Formats: sequence, C-alpha cells, structure tokens
Amino acid sequence: MSKAHDMGGRLDSRRIDITASDVKFKADWEKEVFAITLALGFSSLWNLDRSRYARESLEPKDYLQFGYFEKWLAGLINLLGENGIIKDGTESEDNYKKRSFRVLEAKNVKKLLHMGGPTKRDSTTEKNFNLGETVSVRANNSNTKVEKGHTRLPDYVKGRTGKVIAYHGSHVFPDANAHFLGESPEALYSIEFKSQDLWGKCEHVEDTVVVDLWESYLEKFN
Amino acid sequence: MKKDNLKQFYKEFPSNPDARVKALKSILEKEGLIDQKALDEILDTYQNKVGPLNGAKIVAKAWVNKKFKEYLINNTDKVLKDMDLNGRQGEHVVVVENTEIVHNLIVCTLCSCYPWPLLGLPPSWYKSDAYRSRAVREPRAVLSDFNVKLPISKKVKVWDSTSEIRYLVLPQQPPSSKGLSENELVSWVTRDSMIGTGFPKPPIGE
Repeated sequence: MSKAHDMGGRLDSRRIDITASDVKFKADWEKEVFAITLALGFSSLWNLDRSRYARESLEPKDYLQFGYFEKWLAGLINLLGENGIIKDGTESEDNYKKRSFRVLEAKNVKKLLHMGGPTKRDSTTEKNFNLGETVSVRANNSNTKVEKGHTRLPDYVKGRTGKVIAYHGSHVFPDANAHFLGESPEALYSIEFKSQDLWGKCEHVEDTVVVDLWESYLEKFN
Repeated sequence: MKKDNLKQFYKEFPSNPDARVKALKSILEKEGLIDQKALDEILDTYQNKVGPLNGAKIVAKAWVNKKFKEYLINNTDKVLKDMDLNGRQGEHVVVVENTEIVHNLIVCTLCSCYPWPLLGLPPSWYKSDAYRSRAVREPRAVLSDFNVKLPISKKVKVWDSTSEIRYLVLPQQPPSSKGLSENELVSWVTRDSMIGTGFPKPPIGE
C-alpha cells in the first residue's frame, strides 16, 4: 500500500477549492514555521531529502489531517529531535553544538536563497537509457536500502511502461541522501506515460503524464 | 536492510499549531539557533519580493522575441541566471510550451514542489490533497474546477515534479494581445497560466 503522502491518482471526489488562493499564510504561526524551517535548513544538520522524509514519516492520520505548514512544523521538530536539540526525556544530554550547527545570519539570507541547493552533479554516472526509448519502471517502489525509506518513485507508475523524453544529467539520489547514505548521484530522466496505460480508463487517449525518474527506478523494456 | 528510526518528537509538543511553534521557537531562541533578523528577511523575500511577476516577465519576453524563446527553452538555467531569477526551489528549471496541440499542467503528487523564484509560494489549492491526487488521473476534470475547458483536439500533458527539476508553463499568447509591447504583456500573464490551470487574460480594468 502506498504511503499517505504518495497521492498521485488516489481517488478523490473533492473539488479543487480555488478561493483565497492568493493568501500566502493563513495565520502568523504559519509565517513562523515557514521562516524557521528555511533558516534551519541551512544549519547543515540535514538535507532537503531528509526533511521531506521527516514530513512523510509523520503518523499517517496526522499527515492527512495536518495542513501544509503543520506538516512542516511536525517534521522540523522530528529533525531537531533526532539531532538532540529537542529531547524526548529518554536521551542523555547530546552535545549537538559540536556537530557544527550553522546559525543563519540575516546578512547571508539573500545570497543563500539565491544559491539554493542545486542537485545536478558533474559526475558521469551509468546511463542505460536513450531518448525515445521505451522503458519499464521497477515493479516495487520501496526504497531498496532502507526499510520503509524515502523514495521519489510514485506508486502510480510502478511496473508501468513509458518513453524517455528527456535526460537531465546526474542528480543527487533522494533514496540515499534522505538517509545520509551519500548523494549517490544517478542519471535522471523524464518519462512520459500514456494516461490510458496508467489508469485504464482515461479522459482522452492522447493525454499523458510525465514523471522524473532516476536510473535505478528503471529497467529495460522487454 | 538498514532501518531508519526517526521518532515522533512532535507528539511531545502542544497540539495547537500556534502553541506548538511558540514552544519550539522558545527552545531555539534559548539555544541561540535562530536569528530573528534572518527570519524577517526570509519572510520579506517571499511575501514581498518573489512572486509570479518574475515568471510573467519571462513569458512576455518569450512572446515578443522568438529567438529568446528558443534560447530560453534550450538553455533555461543559464537564462534564469542571467536574469537573476534563479534560486531556492528553482535551481533546475524546464520550460514547457503550450501549443495548438499540447496543453501542459504542473503538479507535485508527492509533496508540493513549485518553482519558487519564478512564481513565489504555491497557492493553497496547489498544496491540497485533491489537486495532488486528481491532477494526474483526471486533469480535464481538474481544469473544469478552474473553469478551463480545452478543445478535444488538444492533448493534456501533466508534469509530476518528482525530482528537483521545476516546471514552468509557457502559455500561448492570446490573439487579442498581439502587437502589445513586452511591458504591456507582462500584466496579461497570470500565475495560473504558468501552472497550466488558467489562460493569460487582459489585466483588470482593460
């Protein structure tokens, strides 16, 4: 069964609520969560993949009930917890400061936001698929190294067949990076799937869905 | 197989989000791990400086200048860097062009990835479970919630942002806007038209 966050294609009869769509923050606490999360993202104690994993790993019922920034907040607390900054009462004093927590200073905000965190790496990694080639997606979308670990392979394309329409070079592999197993860059492709092949019944036979997938998510099509 | 035991520390905190963030912030302040001025600067950036106007400028330029458009599509990251429009959550961008044949729609089914430097922070519906679930399975029904109806001759291509590539839709220029200057055209480009859930339209008052 797919995890709570893996929502693509899940049957949902709700209309898209487009009212108040320009409201960036519904309350002041959301602003606080947003700013603190971004600031601590520069602390060097974790990475973007880890923070996604932290949000996805909330109790499923909370994931589904929490608003967007509530998920951010709970995920952030868990990250601080595993770094010993927040104690759950069961652990001894952990000297996290030794681990070089970098406090974001106002003077660096502009520069760091501008720099962002590029994930493309110069390293040439294995590239087994070519533009236009038909490929299959792995039948199992579980993380292969970590039990119930992070992955960016959505449930709705596992075992499906699509076509390579773009190659983006080597990118940091989230399934490894989220668990501090190294960046392990892999070739990244855009794969186009026919909606018909994904859903059986679809709105229009010409419609397609494009998903970005890493080398090890893919297999040769036989 | 390795295990990763990320514990649920958040449960020890007050459940009300307002109280929860206050409790967290007081710990961080006590430990000296946050600088309020930096937080203010972050908020100022995303509340006042970065927004859909950035994307609109690129679109308008591409409409009036065919050479720029081709260059943009083939060298997106370089163009954005030159225009100072790169940054966090827009490190690697792909521009997808709407044509007579294809209509592009952007979603992130796994979280809510969105090209921040070009469009600002995502609208609430983009982050909703309904949009994340439905956009890949029934894009045309989703579009009808936005009062967007596509001719049957058009193919819908949905882009699920599963990697760090961020997508920007280059909408078709409305025929009624032909002949306008690049500056005038900027105000025709709506946020939704760059996500694929809307079309460009004349600015209010015209």
